[in-house]
Amino acid sequence: MRTSQDCLLVFFFAATITVLGCGKKETQVASGPEVAVNEDAKASADSRRPEQTTAEPDEAEANAADANETASLAAGFPPLARLPKVPVPADNPLTDAKVSLGKLLFFDDRLSGDLGTSCASCHDPRLGWGDGNALSRGYAGTQHWRNSQTIVNSAYLSKLFWAGESPSLEAQADSAITGNLAGNGDPVMIEERLAQIPEYVALFQEAFGIDRPTYEHVLKAIASFERSSLVADNSPLDQYLAGDEAALSEEAMRGKALFQGKAGCIQCHHGPLLTDEKFHNLGLPENPLFTKDPLRQVSLRYQHYIRGVPEEVYRTATTDLGLYYTTKRKSDMSKFRTPPLRYISYTAPYMHNGVFETLEDVIEFYDAGGGDQAGNSPLLRPLNLTEDEKWDLLEFLESMSGDEIRMTPPELPAYEPTKVAVASRTNPNE
Amino acid sequence: MSFASAAIVVLWFGSLPLATLAQELKPLPPNDEKPSSELADLGKLLFFDPRLSGDATISCATCHDPGKAFTDGMPLSTGYPGSRYFRNTPTLLGAAGQDFFYWDARLSGDDLPSLVRDHIAEAHFMQADGRLVIERLRQVPEYEKMFREVAGGEPSYGKILNAIAAFVASLGSREAPLDRYLRGDQTAMPEAAVRGLELFRSKADCTGCHYGERLSDGKLHNTGVPENPQIFSDPLRHITFRRFMRTIGVGQCATLRKDIGHRCVTKDAQDDGKFRTPSLREVSRTAPYMHNGAFSTLSEVVAFYNDGGGSDSDDLQPLELSSEEQADLVEFLKQLTGEPLVLKPPELPAYQLRTLGEF
Repeated sequence: MRTSQDCLLVFFFAATITVLGCGKKETQVASGPEVAVNEDAKASADSRRPEQTTAEPDEAEANAADANETASLAAGFPPLARLPKVPVPADNPLTDAKVSLGKLLFFDDRLSGDLGTSCASCHDPRLGWGDGNALSRGYAGTQHWRNSQTIVNSAYLSKLFWAGESPSLEAQADSAITGNLAGNGDPVMIEERLAQIPEYVALFQEAFGIDRPTYEHVLKAIASFERSSLVADNSPLDQYLAGDEAALSEEAMRGKALFQGKAGCIQCHHGPLLTDEKFHNLGLPENPLFTKDPLRQVSLRYQHYIRGVPEEVYRTATTDLGLYYTTKRKSDMSKFRTPPLRYISYTAPYMHNGVFETLEDVIEFYDAGGGDQAGNSPLLRPLNLTEDEKWDLLEFLESMSGDEIRMTPPELPAYEPTKVAVASRTNPNE
Repeated sequence: MSFASAAIVVLWFGSLPLATLAQELKPLPPNDEKPSSELADLGKLLFFDPRLSGDATISCATCHDPGKAFTDGMPLSTGYPGSRYFRNTPTLLGAAGQDFFYWDARLSGDDLPSLVRDHIAEAHFMQADGRLVIERLRQVPEYEKMFREVAGGEPSYGKILNAIAAFVASLGSREAPLDRYLRGDQTAMPEAAVRGLELFRSKADCTGCHYGERLSDGKLHNTGVPENPQIFSDPLRHITFRRFMRTIGVGQCATLRKDIGHRCVTKDAQDDGKFRTPSLREVSRTAPYMHNGAFSTLSEVVAFYNDGGGSDSDDLQPLELSSEEQADLVEFLKQLTGEPLVLKPPELPAYQLRTLGEF
């Protein structure tokens, strides 16, 4: 596995390519069955791994010691477990009608201000339901300042967005649609646009029993779509947890032990979601785009400004302040919500600022004890993982994804002209 | 004034205040070039800068094109991408100092910066968050410098609005043949136009509403201009129309098939279909005409008034002008426009990288 320094160099190069390629990114439109298995992703860790060396006797002893450590560390946290049923809020029961409507709306750019952006623009089924960029593309005329997260399994989260700003899928959709760096949509304009589309009017009637589409129901429909259609709960890890011992390879099993022991991942990535849903500062390096792209700087400073940080912080901050935007507590600076790990094989680049291109980079970062900024999480420490251990850990991480959720964008219903006679010319002589 | 024409005037102005009968046309003061200022120069740059719109694609000049007398030359204005507006873009020449802004008079003429703000912020115009606009301009060192020098500090929303307002206020009406004629130059207008002026003041009684230096009473009238069916048949316009009526508080907008004008502001039935009397200056270059661009030529406008306006107009009566008289009137209307204001779009300063954390 590459050294972290190599990784960083590679990353800088890759990030530059990302910038140059921005806006021109061509990806094939998914077609055929809705669920396709991405063989590349499944095979990746195996194929990249060099010939395995036989464990030396002293290493075997160390492994035995690690196993004990595993047991004691893992015991302190909720165990890895299968995903439960998707939680559904009482005020928005799941129905098929809502789901089909929500799917259409998810792909409809008429929810954005200038028709240039739909939910799928930054949560693209072909790109792990993220947008594949280190930092999201954002609304036209802007460049977003955070990584676009996958929305697969987002239905399980009680805190949405990287700094946990939204408490529900409905609230998250609202922020994304109206956010000036995201959809820049106007709720009343959206309602009137939808009212101009007879097929939507009928679908809202069917799903919610209302005569005219409302913005509130737009959010409910999109959330229903996410709850029903964007759940990945059958990864090899899930199969293993369901009792299929053969679902995880030997390497992945060793990786699992490391995950719960020597590597300490379990401290934050635990329970059915593989996240504690808490906030931590890893001391991550800032994405170099913030020193290279004026529009990223605009977005970062705009974020400081609209979130109401004190003037001095606005003037002097050099980085994304994370949870601090919400709490204004200095101890919360640069803390971000632990992301869940399922579907991770499809969601590179990683971290809130997309600073790591690959999972290998992520492992190297943690192995080195995280970043070197002040205020880092006390949970971070050098891990001293061997190369083989890193590969095992990677193998385990890649067992958390399973089949890719592919989806062909639906055909969207069109505007229809208003079918009512207009008052004729009022000129009496005509 | 002949007895006959005086009788007609009295007849159809019976319901208007007597004061309006005494209104006369007035020339612009000589050399009425509005003084330029450094603030207006800054405002000029901003006027052309698409970074003031949400998706950075349109500027003030997109709809108020200097090459088209600060209009867009369309019956109905375009608006923000994804929407289409439902009223005609008025010229900005001489716009400052009106009693009201917008065709429906929803803003006070005393507050030009608010008019600018409304354009930047509204979903149907530029759909931009002012806080984002500020950050964009602060990312342009040349703007930073100019704002500090001219407006006394870094770019702020208020300073942006004031600068653009100063530029718009500098766009005065241009001296027209009528001004020279009214100041005594008998040769300033062709004979047909002089006859047209007489009709304008007498038989056609345009001066009932179009008088003074601005050729407008600054008031609101319902002349019964026919609806522009595009507002209802074009989905994007009808969407924008309904959204506007909803957000300004008009109920039942889904079934509305008429632009109710000033009534959308006051919600008062008396104001139904009332629109602000536009200035007639620059009128040769600001076709199409009326709040909804219903007429594409001045001849159509004159014919409309000759017919007594629309059926539900406030006070208009047929004028019984001969076709020659109508032609003379059009000839006169052509004397209200000055030399075009030639304004080249400026080169805009670019975004630059900053060192984050250093102010």
